[in-house]
Amino acid sequence: MSQFLVKEGVKNQIRQGEKLVTTHCCYCGMQCGMHIRVDEKSNKVVGVEPRYDWVLTKGKMCPKGVTAYQTIDHPDRIKLPLIKKNGKFVESSWEEALDLIERKFKELQEKYGKDTLGVYGGVSMTNEKCYLVGKYARVGLGTRYVDYNGRYCMSSAAGGFNKTLGMDRGSTLPWTELEHSDCFFMSGTNTAECHPTSIQWFWKAKDKGAKIIVADPRETATARIADVHLDLLPGTDTALANGIMHLLIKHDYVDYEYVQERCNNFAELKEVTAKFTPEYTSKLTGVAVEKIIKAAHIFGKSPRSVVMFARGVEQQVSGVDNVSLYTSMALLRGQIGKFASGVATFTGQGNGQGGREHGQKADALPGYRKINDPKHVEYVSGVWGIKPEEMPKEGVSAYEMFGLMENKTIRGMHVICSNPVVSSPNINYVTKAMEGLDFLVVSDFFLSETAELADVVLPATTWAEDEGTTTNIEGRVIRIRKVVEPIGESKPDWEIIKLISERMEKGKYFDYSEPREIFDELRVASKGGKADYFGVTYEKIDEQDGVFWPAPTEDSKGTPSIFQEKFATEDGKANLAVIDYRGPAEVKSKEFPLWLTTGRVVFHYLSGNQTRRVGFLMEQCPEPFVEMHPELASQYQIENGEKVKLSTPRGHMIVPVKITKAIRKDVMFVPYHWGKHQSVNQLTNPALDPTSRMPEFKVCAVKLEKLSK
Amino acid sequence: MNKIMYLEFERCIGCRACQAACRECGDHDAKERNYVEYVDFTESRQTFPMLCMQCKDPACARVCPANAIQITEEGVVLSAMEEKCIGCRNCTFGCPFGIPKFDFEKNKMYKCDMCYDRTREDIAPMCASVCPSDAIRFIDFDEMQQLRRRRTQMNLVEGKKPQEGNKWDYVPEFFGVYTDSQS
Repeated sequence: MSQFLVKEGVKNQIRQGEKLVTTHCCYCGMQCGMHIRVDEKSNKVVGVEPRYDWVLTKGKMCPKGVTAYQTIDHPDRIKLPLIKKNGKFVESSWEEALDLIERKFKELQEKYGKDTLGVYGGVSMTNEKCYLVGKYARVGLGTRYVDYNGRYCMSSAAGGFNKTLGMDRGSTLPWTELEHSDCFFMSGTNTAECHPTSIQWFWKAKDKGAKIIVADPRETATARIADVHLDLLPGTDTALANGIMHLLIKHDYVDYEYVQERCNNFAELKEVTAKFTPEYTSKLTGVAVEKIIKAAHIFGKSPRSVVMFARGVEQQVSGVDNVSLYTSMALLRGQIGKFASGVATFTGQGNGQGGREHGQKADALPGYRKINDPKHVEYVSGVWGIKPEEMPKEGVSAYEMFGLMENKTIRGMHVICSNPVVSSPNINYVTKAMEGLDFLVVSDFFLSETAELADVVLPATTWAEDEGTTTNIEGRVIRIRKVVEPIGESKPDWEIIKLISERMEKGKYFDYSEPREIFDELRVASKGGKADYFGVTYEKIDEQDGVFWPAPTEDSKGTPSIFQEKFATEDGKANLAVIDYRGPAEVKSKEFPLWLTTGRVVFHYLSGNQTRRVGFLMEQCPEPFVEMHPELASQYQIENGEKVKLSTPRGHMIVPVKITKAIRKDVMFVPYHWGKHQSVNQLTNPALDPTSRMPEFKVCAVKLEKLSK
Repeated sequence: MNKIMYLEFERCIGCRACQAACRECGDHDAKERNYVEYVDFTESRQTFPMLCMQCKDPACARVCPANAIQITEEGVVLSAMEEKCIGCRNCTFGCPFGIPKFDFEKNKMYKCDMCYDRTREDIAPMCASVCPSDAIRFIDFDEMQQLRRRRTQMNLVEGKKPQEGNKWDYVPEFFGVYTDSQS
């Protein structure tokens, strides 16, 4: 059992017969600090207590966080391995399940080659597990096909940051500095709903006079408190960012000294942005000219500003371009690498940051190394104890794997900590591809929509039944503690990986007895890479409230602010983005005359596999809905609460209407947390960003139909 | 206890963490005693939280024919005492803020008690502890006064001055819930 930490001078209610275990929430990238209440006699989780002393969140939690503990001892938990026999799941022993997996995996690989197996990971789990997924695919199974759900979440941010700054850490500054900023330019982020506890920092700054600019097609709870709300059309961020930069240059808000010293491509950027006059920008984005001008002046005049964005700008075919352009806005103002200013993306998944750094991605190895760089392969092979030539080649991105399933390149699959038949775009196609697999193994603790399709479901543990670290929204490595022993016969993912690898005769590469051993290996594997965790230890995390990577040496305290002197590019200079407007992959037509965008609600997390099982959250938001403007509803003679049909060339859904003026007149919004016929991802467009291979969830052309009574 | 529950409606993001957290308080029987509503969803996403004002002379206690609603020495208005409550629901009609709720199964009223088991130890109530945007706070009387003056100051900084016709915009929309006599 983990030790129990409480800080001096922090008062918490500790009831008789109970103890508090200090940990973090399992959901989004904020990784809010919390104590879990455990009954000492029964050793069961009984509730939650705020962790007032956690430096980033100060005890605050959203409704998902407050109820997170309810998923631990939940009646729906899978407690034994399930094997599908005659179309029905039958509980079985681990022995039987592993026997079957061994036989099928070996059979498939003998017949069709090593690469016939695929591994589909996720980043709602600890660094230790995420790191091991990459190693499991490459060493345990020997396949090149590994990718993860971060392709739907963070890969455009990663692509954009790598391109402009040379390194991808979600935030260039620690968020405890945010209260000292003067301006936040937030684009495509509904942080009030998706990262609710971050809002305290914006209010702290706002109370001191900071300005907030929000670009979003909806007047979200975040946009509602903004000084300027740029209500742009989905998919037009490239134009907006160029338009703002045009004005920054025109009104001399550019920090020329900084740009000259630390950035490339300014002349080219000036040339491209020249045509993005407020009028032209307004024509493309649908935002009023005055608003664009006002936003540019506020942003330009602020001595300390932070440009922030999230999936709204990233889940587009021009996701990487959008990230690069918004980052360039901060660069033009000379903000990156300075106090209380910089650029940041809102990490969507709990360990979206750490999970993308350590080789779970088709082209990546631990420490942000690249699998197509022989030097990187040599180093990591050394750590893993394999020969460099044994390292499989680069695979394909998450969505592209379904194409390979369809054409039978991939015949077997292990899905770990993910629910792709809900979270992928165009799920009618994805479901068919998954159904066509010869053999599917899913590790999960609830029977997700993906697990339903599996041949074998392995019972994994929840976050509270295992130790480890995650890396939060700021790039701060933090500790997740074990609260209770695993329920039933469930096992942590690292142990499942170890067991299967043993069956594949690769046990010697996975000889771990606890997560700390995996972390120590990860520290070495990431050493010398961009995301260097070598100096991060469990003890240091406790001592100093988390450790910011990079921490390259044993005695390093970590690096809260990055890029203070130079960028991580080859020449140490940032590359300003020189990109013209391209627009979304799909255009409106006579048949599909409206825009559809998707996103989250505050009550649910990702594919909803966890939050759809929590009573309070389901009471608040039991089903998907479509938000539309009263003017649009009136054109179609639709009333509030009425069910309507939405369709795109890929699928259709029937969904009740919520009418509100807090959305553009030509855009509709549906949250994506539900599966099967309730899933908006039946409609979404799988067009991929050319660099990040991230699908365009945020924009598609849609047809709205009133149902006849 | 010399603390104040301080609500700032403008900050509410409608996440209802306060409601979820209310259920977590030890004596709350997993039933929330506060609520969050949209002002008018058709117009905007503005929501507001509401919890017990802990009135000095509470209507709920006044209309209780059984004297079941007790007020602690600190001024916290408690739920009806189980042995006294006759289940008449007068309190639920009497309260102008719609705070007392009725448990039809147990035939008794329950309401916000400001997490008395926490606040009497000077630990913030669950709702104020978790509220992500500080729309609900549990603060000292002096801090409350300071916050109100701060609002005026911010208006001056931003060059806002009340005009005839919009004076009401300058009345702070936040207010305190007093738990102690401050005279």
